[in-house]
Amino acid sequence: MDGPQRHRILMVSDFFYPNFGGVESHIYYLSQCLIKLGHKVVITTHAYGNRSGVRYMTGGLKVYYIPWRPFLMQNTLPTFYGTLPIIRTILIRERISVVHGHQAFSTLCHEALMHARTLGYKAVFTDHSLYRFADVGSIHMNKVLQFTLADIDQAICVSHTSKENTVLRSGIDPEKVFVIPNAVDTAMFTPAPKRLCYDEIVIVVISRLVYRKGADLLVEVIPEVCQLNPNVRFVIGGDGLKRVRLEEMREKYSLQDRVEMLGAVPHAQVRSVLVSGHIFLNSSLTEAFCIAILEAASCGLLTVSTRVGGVPEVLPDDMIVLAEPTPVDMIRAIKEAIEMLPNINPQAMHDRVKKLYSWHDVAKRTEVVYDRALLCSDVSLLQRLPRYLKCGPWAGKLFCLVMMINFLLWQLLQFWQPSKSIEEVPDILILENEDKEICGKLRMP
Amino acid sequence: MEREAKKSSGNGGKHKWRKVAYGGMQPGYDDNYTDDSFLEGMVMNANVVKRDLFKVMLDSVSISQYLCIAALVVIVWIKTLHSVIDEISLLSLDAGLLGLGFLIILLTTSQLSFHLFLHYLMKISFFISGLYILAPVYHTLTRSISSDSIWALSVSLLLIHLFLHDFSGYTIRPPGAKNNPTLASNISLNASIIASVLIASRLPSRLHVFALMLFSLQVFLFAPLVTFCIKKYSFWLHLWFSFILMSMTLCIIFVMHRMLFVLLLALIVFISIVCPYWLIQIQEYKFEINGPWDEAKLCFEITE
Repeated sequence: MDGPQRHRILMVSDFFYPNFGGVESHIYYLSQCLIKLGHKVVITTHAYGNRSGVRYMTGGLKVYYIPWRPFLMQNTLPTFYGTLPIIRTILIRERISVVHGHQAFSTLCHEALMHARTLGYKAVFTDHSLYRFADVGSIHMNKVLQFTLADIDQAICVSHTSKENTVLRSGIDPEKVFVIPNAVDTAMFTPAPKRLCYDEIVIVVISRLVYRKGADLLVEVIPEVCQLNPNVRFVIGGDGLKRVRLEEMREKYSLQDRVEMLGAVPHAQVRSVLVSGHIFLNSSLTEAFCIAILEAASCGLLTVSTRVGGVPEVLPDDMIVLAEPTPVDMIRAIKEAIEMLPNINPQAMHDRVKKLYSWHDVAKRTEVVYDRALLCSDVSLLQRLPRYLKCGPWAGKLFCLVMMINFLLWQLLQFWQPSKSIEEVPDILILENEDKEICGKLRMP
Repeated sequence: MEREAKKSSGNGGKHKWRKVAYGGMQPGYDDNYTDDSFLEGMVMNANVVKRDLFKVMLDSVSISQYLCIAALVVIVWIKTLHSVIDEISLLSLDAGLLGLGFLIILLTTSQLSFHLFLHYLMKISFFISGLYILAPVYHTLTRSISSDSIWALSVSLLLIHLFLHDFSGYTIRPPGAKNNPTLASNISLNASIIASVLIASRLPSRLHVFALMLFSLQVFLFAPLVTFCIKKYSFWLHLWFSFILMSMTLCIIFVMHRMLFVLLLALIVFISIVCPYWLIQIQEYKFEINGPWDEAKLCFEITE
């Protein structure tokens, strides 16, 4: 059961359950599969409302909801050094070997990786999104990313386009970046037991209705498609700022009986909405890796999507029809998809997705990254500081200063609260014996 | 269909690396394998305009021209506050400027219909009568505020006005214009209006207040539109007009105060010669990156 080396991983991100999203489910599924491979995984995130302290999830996955409140879009307030004591305590208590941070937008992730490097632990970072270069917010975020990745052991990106974007933003060596895509839980997303009839074609859209996800493209495309194909119906799930525009479009073209708006769809009901349709339409303007497309393909739907970001890499050509993000080309693609429909076998598509993507495979490839990270040599503070100086004439010196203060604070903490006084947690392995009873076995440090 | 080549068994062709995410790890390649096609979709400096020094210097003339207009307004303020100009000459100046402005717009805009002209005339008359009615209010507005605060406030507001001013267009849009003015240009316009009110409220009589307010507002609200019309009509006319304006301003200030003359001259030289050169020098550091990771731009307008 144990691999050649048993890792003790700390996943850090601001985004985790009870929040739902791509990053959250990625962390959860990856942790579960890593636990099945025999490693120990602990997750750290900020407190959500009253949910603060330690919680246990399926399979013995321990989650620390550290008592920090989010201040902007689920991010904790960045205080540079405020999280040092608690992260240090968690690292020593759980005897962590690798710290794995997720999502460049998460302040807790950057802080935790900074502390991990100061304390001498190995650090791995996964980037889940694409970002721009030219506006003020992106310039600052890219600088922060450059700081974090200046001294990282390995990095992971979810698609090849995302790797190019991350390398350009942070200046990291491409050999350090691994491309490990997301996957989909095919057991949860199964096609409908009975094949739908093709008299009426149902096109499903499930996304947040915001500018970034192409809701404006939908407003242009839907009336045209309804006019060209009288037997097509739309089902739109999701909510957001652009919902008003879609409602207005429905009123203007009198499409109330042909366009159904479901509002926000809870995660547990996404599958039932998907299996009611034949085609899945994704009109995003930017995507690093679109999990929604995978979920749709796993349910046996043919996908029509805009050719942006990492979307062309996600599915083979016969399971997806790509279009440029213009209304004319999207209408052409929908027409092509409708013609392809009779040749699509949902069950066969589901089986293919099962072979092409699995979280278990993702966990195995991530394990390789951890092995590589642990092979990197330990470096002292003086050897690490030149890596930060490369970040820029002013920024480099500022980053060095930040790291030096972090180091001094760590020394102070070691004096004030020595490592020996922090009690180490024994590992609890959840085992299944022959009678399939779950029993716990305590492993002392 | 997806897998192009075979695996193992002899070296009958290694599996070719493909830029795809499905199918797990590609056999024979690590996950951190960087192909030769890495970053081949990147386009650098695609939208960067190659700038020519002479053209930039010519474009900077609009900035110096507006600076001189602002300087002329300040000169009129100072002279009125020192009672060098009396209210009758101010009123005739206002009427003259109004007539001149209308003439320029009529001559330079090709399709000014009679209906639109009447519309402008009506608006202007409403504006003037409104100002005349409100003049007594402005007259006693800052009676309790000390003069130092007034000068300090006016100077700061004028500086804000010059910094945030939209030199390429005009803030007051004719009816039916498509794009809205930016936030910065609105703030600059408001700053100039407040500065005019503050200065006008220092004057002795209501007629003075009305005349000076009308003068300042005419210049700040409509001068950008007039200069834009001139520039659109003919670039040479614009250059000549700017040179005449700048020389006139410099002469008047030379007579008034030597130090301010030197300051204004230095500022104009800085804007017209030093800044274009500096801009061209730092252009070589421009690094614009485009590629498949960019957010797609919508090719249509979003009509709310």
